Amino acid sequence: MSVTIEIPSYLQTFVNNLETVEVEGDTIGACLHELAVKFPSVEEKLFTREHKLHSYIGIYINGEDAYPDELTKPVKGNDRILILYIIGGG
Amino acid sequence: MIKGIGEDGQEKLKKARVIIAGGGGLGSPVAMYLAAAGVGTIRIVDHDRVELSNLNRQVLHWDKDIGRPKVDSFGEKLQQLNRNIVVEPVNETISEDNISSLVRGFDLIVDAMDNLPTRYLLNRAAVDNSIPFIHGAVYGFEGRAMTVIPGKSACLRCVYRGLMPSEKFPVIGVTPAVIGCIQATEAIKYILGVGRLLTDRLLVYDGLNMKFTELTVTRDPECEHCHQISG
Repeated sequence: MSVTIEIPSYLQTFVNNLETVEVEGDTIGACLHELAVKFPSVEEKLFTREHKLHSYIGIYINGEDAYPDELTKPVKGNDRILILYIIGGG
Repeated sequence: MIKGIGEDGQEKLKKARVIIAGGGGLGSPVAMYLAAAGVGTIRIVDHDRVELSNLNRQVLHWDKDIGRPKVDSFGEKLQQLNRNIVVEPVNETISEDNISSLVRGFDLIVDAMDNLPTRYLLNRAAVDNSIPFIHGAVYGFEGRAMTVIPGKSACLRCVYRGLMPSEKFPVIGVTPAVIGCIQATEAIKYILGVGRLLTDRLLVYDGLNMKFTELTVTRDPECEHCHQISG
């Protein structure tokens, strides 16, 4: 069951400049974990030492906010996970 | 005549009082188009002076303005654009101490800041004073926009819950132009009461791929800013 993760521009340098990565997993957390296994330097960009998502990251599943309990939300084949970093420039 | 404007609409624009927080890359297009549309009172708040590095995106500031307070440069250009509106330049740093007095009496707050902590202050003030709030932010070729109707739609804090570890957001000048024009559009729509506002939707603009993505957001029942107010 393949799920697509849309990589924000901020993270693309850590995933060989890919805009999307295909992963397998039953939950958002499992999918993000697989992303971090494929691209280990992503791990600290997504997760705290306690393996929680950084507070400045939003996760969207098929365009809808997955908050709260993002990591345990189930996913199915062809779902799209979007990682959204806060931006603040003006 | 554009449907929804006409003389009545122009009168609504003339009576409207809009505060723009930030006289930089986002604030420039927002202010220009609101002034040109005839928004009657525009308060611009910024504490900075114009620097050379601002000129790639802050199009209301010109080379001759380097070193001047931004609000002076801003006010002068806006008044030249439309002498029939009131421009209120406020050369202050937005803080917890002055935010309420700055926004009181205004119909609309436009977020044109360059940092997240002040955005959160503005969002809080918008919620506490029931003033609609139009968020915009940029980074590189990417931009975001969202409109908040306090008590009815998700606020900025429902969507953004933290701070980035680094507060540097380099910008290519055209990106705030795109987002600022979207914010100005939202402001005009709100004042006129036309169209569908960008509420409960976060618009994500990707200039590199020339793509707009709409994300659905919802009010967080435990939001530290808006959980206690109802529509």
